[in-house]
Amino acid sequence: MLSGGFNGQLSIQGLPSGRVLKIIPVFSQFPENGWGYAEETKPMLQTTYGFVPWDDTHHPELSQTNGEVDGRWVFINANNTPRIARVDLATMETHEILEIPNTGGNHASPFITPNSEYVVGATRFSVPTPQQDIAIKSFADGAFKGMLTFVRANEPGRMDIAWQILVPGYNYDLAHAGKGPSDGWMFFTAYNSEQAYTKLEAGASKSDKDFIAAVHWKSFEACAKQGKGTTWDSEYRHNVYNEATHSATSNRKTGVRVITPAECPGSIFYLPTPKSPHGADVDPTGQYIVGGGKLATVIPVHSFEKMQRAIAAKAFEKEIDGIPVLKYDAVNFCEVQNPGLGPLHTEFDGKGNAYTSVFISSEIVKWTLPGCEVVDRQPTFYSIGHLMIPGGDSKKPFGKYVIALNKITKDRYLPTGPELTQSAQLYDISGDKMRLLADFPTIGEPHYAQALPASLIEERQVRFFKVAENTHPMVVRAEKDAGISRRGKTVHVKMIAIRSHFTPDNIEGVQAGDTVLFHVTNIEQDWDIPHGFAVMGAQNAELLVMPGQTRTLKWVVPEKTGVYPFYCTDFCSALHQEMQGYVRVSPRGSTIALSANTSAKTEAQIRKLAASNNRLSGAGSAQR
Amino acid sequence: MTALSLLSTYVLPLWEVRLIAPQYPEGLGMHILLHTVVGIRPEDLGNINGLNHYIGMKAIEPDTIPALKLMPWGMAALVASGLGAAAWGRRGGARAWVVLFSLCAIAGLVDFWKWEYDYGHSLDTENASIVIPGMSYQPPLIGSKQLLNFTATSWPAPGGWIALAALALAVGVILDDARRRPTKLAPLAASLGVLVTFGCGTPAPRAIVAGADSCQHCRMTLVDPKFAAQVVTATGQQHLFDSIDCGLRWWLAQPEEARGELYLADFRVPATWVPAQEAVILVDGRVKTPMGRSVLAFSAGTPTAGLLREFGGQVVDFEQLQSDPVRHMSLTARHTH
Repeated sequence: MLSGGFNGQLSIQGLPSGRVLKIIPVFSQFPENGWGYAEETKPMLQTTYGFVPWDDTHHPELSQTNGEVDGRWVFINANNTPRIARVDLATMETHEILEIPNTGGNHASPFITPNSEYVVGATRFSVPTPQQDIAIKSFADGAFKGMLTFVRANEPGRMDIAWQILVPGYNYDLAHAGKGPSDGWMFFTAYNSEQAYTKLEAGASKSDKDFIAAVHWKSFEACAKQGKGTTWDSEYRHNVYNEATHSATSNRKTGVRVITPAECPGSIFYLPTPKSPHGADVDPTGQYIVGGGKLATVIPVHSFEKMQRAIAAKAFEKEIDGIPVLKYDAVNFCEVQNPGLGPLHTEFDGKGNAYTSVFISSEIVKWTLPGCEVVDRQPTFYSIGHLMIPGGDSKKPFGKYVIALNKITKDRYLPTGPELTQSAQLYDISGDKMRLLADFPTIGEPHYAQALPASLIEERQVRFFKVAENTHPMVVRAEKDAGISRRGKTVHVKMIAIRSHFTPDNIEGVQAGDTVLFHVTNIEQDWDIPHGFAVMGAQNAELLVMPGQTRTLKWVVPEKTGVYPFYCTDFCSALHQEMQGYVRVSPRGSTIALSANTSAKTEAQIRKLAASNNRLSGAGSAQR
Repeated sequence: MTALSLLSTYVLPLWEVRLIAPQYPEGLGMHILLHTVVGIRPEDLGNINGLNHYIGMKAIEPDTIPALKLMPWGMAALVASGLGAAAWGRRGGARAWVVLFSLCAIAGLVDFWKWEYDYGHSLDTENASIVIPGMSYQPPLIGSKQLLNFTATSWPAPGGWIALAALALAVGVILDDARRRPTKLAPLAASLGVLVTFGCGTPAPRAIVAGADSCQHCRMTLVDPKFAAQVVTATGQQHLFDSIDCGLRWWLAQPEEARGELYLADFRVPATWVPAQEAVILVDGRVKTPMGRSVLAFSAGTPTAGLLREFGGQVVDFEQLQSDPVRHMSLTARHTH
């Protein structure tokens, strides 16, 4: 599962083949299947800023039980308009999106705790918190803050902000939860401790060391329970997709608990870490915290045990806004020498080896832990960002492959104009030396990825939705129940799709200026038989309706009168080309009665019905 | 005991029909019970009906099948009479019951066959999208048959096996008894026993499961049944081949007495197996075959003029195919692909 970066989606690719199997739209509209266009899915993209049709997805994160991936869900962050989504792995559909208030740039997200209790979000772009209209240069006066957000994650449909921690205005970049002995902690990297607010490339790179923030979330959980902190009236959105109605709702929420470090003392510490650290990665034993010192010449490794002792001994260098800064030597376990230029992220194989992606020198460096010795290095093509070992950030890595996620592919593939594909590379890590097996293009930017053995999700795959259990208000469970009705200028068509026809497929009495809502239920009860629906002149997208599902396309009837075809867009059967129909559009005020043929009625009956309708009320009465 | 075991047929399916096609590798299926027809998975029946509408078949609606209303009562009567005969304790009673049971079984199978015949033949050709002149879609009573893209396989299900076993047991008891005390009924009982076992014994070619079966000779996966060959040995083993070439080589390589029968798939109707001796064989035509030289087979009596026009090459019979000199040269070496 690879995030698509700036495409706002999540791609499913097979391993070791690299074949693209599916694109799951999350934060971006997806005309290919109508995500964010169909009436049922539009609410998923609602935010407090209104309807936001795009975002930037960075980090997929699999749900965990006892620190191991469990194959229930994958979470993913929206960086631009801060949100976290939950994708259900049984249907591979986005089921929930929670907006995160009081933050800017939700990058250190959605890293998960070992029993999926919480996923986190943190401020990458510190902002005035709460927001206010002030001069940007007041950043220097400490008016800009960061926020570490804990989101309740282990109950589907009930994600919510558990609490937020108000912290100094640095750039919080990445995070990982402790596990085993360090369970209960979450580690966030923080750069720009210089608090530059312009030309950060120089301004944020001055200090030798920035920080890793070690947060004892279990203490904050207790503090929140005790009512510590204050409730801010921040507004945010919680969007939930209901699998029974096949529809999403967007709920406005207000009020989050904000706790300052001083209100929950002894629960957050800064670990000095060289230099502008990027990744904060915890090894499978939970004993070591590896910082990816983006501009450092070493890879700093902190010891959890040393950190505990330093806290007990109060080996503090200073305190910043109520957060004790531990002494570097009191927490640092080792510095891995000669790791290449620009170490970013580290994952683990569960056999005592760590693999660090190194951006500038474009390589993967393998080193031993606790040995802290580099033992192998392999080039990547080119400019690796994240890297990923299936389960490599959990307690139990499946340490057979490492995948490099590359930003640049010049000369690796055929040229495609100014924009070249980005890529992933697959290395075998089962032996002493890493071995490049394959590379394959990815969809969008492969920012980060997660992978797990197919066996963990195969059994639970949904093949189709039971149409008998579909409780969509406009569902049609049997062909004979299809029909049409009018409410003012809105026409509702309740339509079925089954190989190889729509019912109804001849619709008359629609007038220019009407809005037609096509509620299409795919009544197939068979695997891999979606039907599509598209109508000429629609200004949105098509629908792709899974078996047993209902989807609604809103068609603003064009001003041009005439007969408009609609058809099935997904090659469903040998007679797919015959799966079509017509809507007759008459001028406003026309006396053509509203009618739609259903299979139960012959053409003669329809004519009769239309005639009687005409007699009764002219255009505009409801009928089947 | 035998009569009571029949009670299981009230819950267990009697018969099973499975349909496999390229688009349905996991298959669709139906279970026939005493009182109803159900999909093997709940949605299967609906999907079978959905597909059948393309060829104009009637939908299978269990409520409208009269036999399904009668059979539970018939079975009740059979069980009751069996228990009655046992209670009566006379040989004559038992024998009469076995005869009744056999007649019921035969009647049931005949009715099932007639039902299948009706579904397979009463087609609404007016409204069907797919009409193939002369084609009917009757599934087999027992065994496999290719129906367009589907391989239909029909077989007794657990309830059916129990009923058959019950019948065989009852017949066995009567036979055993008859050996000791020969009576006029013995030949009848024996013939019934033969009848029960008959369906399983006849060696015949089977349908190919394209993509799953592989060639006995070259081990390649069988993807295109129209080039296939099959050898059915005297012991009933069925060996499949991806080409006539492979089939012939393998067949010739066997000791003469163990060769069995070589069948060739009709190129135009691949589900039809033509005994090689009867087939019209076309060699060196324009159609490329999976293996080596182009060899196609057609049903006996296929007009050759049309074949030559369509495919080119030359028509030979099986004898000529075997004695073909080109063929002979390569026969000694097992070819590689």
